[in-house]
Amino acid sequence: MSNKLRHARIRLLAVLSMLLSVGAGGTLAYADGGSESYNYSFWGDTVPAPAAYEATVSIAGEGAGAGPFKDPSDLHVTPDGRIYVLDSGNNRIVVLNRQFKEVETIDAFDNGGSEDAFLNPQGLFVTEQGQILVADTGNKRVVHLDQNRKLVKIVDSPESELLQADFDFQPVRVVVDKAQRLYVMAVGVFDGFMEFNANGEFTTFIGANRVRVDPVELFWKRFSTRAQRSRMVMFTPTEFTNMDINEEGFIYATNGDAWGDTIKKLNAQGNDILRRTGYFSPRGEVRYTNEEGPSRLVDIDVADSEIYSVLDAKRGRIYTYNGDGHFMYVFGGLGNRLGEFNTPVAIERVRDDFLVLDKALGEITVFRTTEYGRTLNEAVRAYYRGDEEKAFELFQKTINMNANLEFAYAGIGKALLRQGDYAEAMKYFKRSMDQANYSKAFLLYRKEVLREYFPSIMTGIVVLLVVAFAWRKYRKAKGGKRNVSVEQRVV
Amino acid sequence: MSPWSSELFKYPFHLIVRPYNGFWDLKYERSRRANLIVSFAVLILMVVTNVMSSQYSGFLVNLYNPQDMNSLMEIVYVAVPVLFWCVANWSLTTLMDGEGKFVEIFTSTCFALIPLIVINFPWIWLSNVISLQETSFYYFSNSFAALWSLYLLFVGNMTVHQFTPAKTIATMLLTVAAMGFMAFLCLLFLSLVQEIVAFVSTIYQEIVLRN
Repeated sequence: MSNKLRHARIRLLAVLSMLLSVGAGGTLAYADGGSESYNYSFWGDTVPAPAAYEATVSIAGEGAGAGPFKDPSDLHVTPDGRIYVLDSGNNRIVVLNRQFKEVETIDAFDNGGSEDAFLNPQGLFVTEQGQILVADTGNKRVVHLDQNRKLVKIVDSPESELLQADFDFQPVRVVVDKAQRLYVMAVGVFDGFMEFNANGEFTTFIGANRVRVDPVELFWKRFSTRAQRSRMVMFTPTEFTNMDINEEGFIYATNGDAWGDTIKKLNAQGNDILRRTGYFSPRGEVRYTNEEGPSRLVDIDVADSEIYSVLDAKRGRIYTYNGDGHFMYVFGGLGNRLGEFNTPVAIERVRDDFLVLDKALGEITVFRTTEYGRTLNEAVRAYYRGDEEKAFELFQKTINMNANLEFAYAGIGKALLRQGDYAEAMKYFKRSMDQANYSKAFLLYRKEVLREYFPSIMTGIVVLLVVAFAWRKYRKAKGGKRNVSVEQRVV
Repeated sequence: MSPWSSELFKYPFHLIVRPYNGFWDLKYERSRRANLIVSFAVLILMVVTNVMSSQYSGFLVNLYNPQDMNSLMEIVYVAVPVLFWCVANWSLTTLMDGEGKFVEIFTSTCFALIPLIVINFPWIWLSNVISLQETSFYYFSNSFAALWSLYLLFVGNMTVHQFTPAKTIATMLLTVAAMGFMAFLCLLFLSLVQEIVAFVSTIYQEIVLRN
């Protein structure tokens, strides 16, 4: 009997020590988050955050077995994990497999019987079926190849009354939607993206950037002659710097402005429908010095669940936001170590991993998630799907690793609200500074409390009234005379 | 009549609803000592209201960063504008044939702040039990209190100086301008003093290091 008890005790001890060690291991693993990564608090302060991504390997052309890359300018990854690198300096496309080994090189295609090649191509897009679109900048055309690398069509010299007669078509980026419409970003076009239909005919421009007028310039323009004015700066909208398309067919675009909304999500009409409900409008760096200036965004990549990332060429950092515009994490930088870049030009997300292409070094750096990054990604996905139970659990895990991640508290609050724990939900919404949801939880909480206490409160009031009434009656009946005499004395 | 009678507490409430009679009594009928006691009490209550409101007001109307909150600065935020207002107003009205003495200006200004306490103080707690849609009531009462105070300030100024309404408004606007001017002079003075202190300390260091 006592033996049995002792056994049980030992087993309990073992379990306890195991639990303890797991806890200790856990804290150790999170403690080395480092101060490289950060996030922004509601008040705009930079707060440290654990690293969400870590550079694991960098791949050069030689390592992939394709010879060195020369000024590669774009890359694209298909859902099956194949990596297409646009090696602009060598006028070719190199296809790598999941192990980052070359499987195919496309440097020529059959154009109506004769062999044709690219000339300084700048943009690349690969459809889910493996069809390739190349913005063949040097040849002033967009080339469309099918999965067997057979030419489908060539889009060049577009004609329309919207275009000037001497229009010079120099495409630099291209995307295609599910309906085979092409969207092309071209040099010197200020009216937005050029849209082509499935036959390759130019249809319209969409999503022009806005013109910003400098008041000082405008003032001087008022007082100058026509001849002077013709030599002054023209107020033109800025060009886009890059674009991407998500599975729903919305175009995500970045522009090089130093002001306003530099990230846009365009619908079919070209309207900006990006949600900016985070603590800050998504635009890369929020706190910067005057000399440094704001982020210069050069690439955007949109993943599933409306998560998107932008690349800041000035700082070499990659900023990731969720669909609501909450800042999730940042990584990268300029430098010589692994995970730092010289001239980053393109980013691409493969499931949860990131590939960053460096033009000057001709290298691709691969970033993989840390425990923290994985949990946060999954939490945001679960939240996006509406799977609140899962999101609750994952956000709890996330804030255990990073208590500064304020928007995660709102995710927890939403789940609690759904479960009916209003008081607790209020606490979490307060921590994430979410007034609208706090108010929602509070209204339900107030209703609950009132429903619970209304009978007793009302009973109390009625009883008090009755007692007071009875007391006055009693006073009047018994001590009426004395009362009067007291009043008289006061007067 | 003793200054500690219940009349001492009733009078401020009488004044804010009957400002013309109230301020007349303030100037001509009532003891200056009692007025000063009430005035300082009002200032202290105002500070208390502001401090408590920034700390305890409901989350929906009060997003505040605990790192920026400083109770001592709240005293400055109340005392300095009142002091500036009184000095500027007195300086102007002495030149503009106002009849008010400095004490009268000070007491009338403090009495005019009473609505800001009477209305805002209960709202510290009420704001904790309202929803986002009901916050309009909160903002409405706040604005109402501010307008009421402004009205009292106007009547108080008019009564104390025995001005016409038009002249009172002109004086008040000029007072605001004068306050800005005073703030500018104060900053100038402070920076000059800083320069002098730096100069003296530099000379001191030079002499000390020479030996």
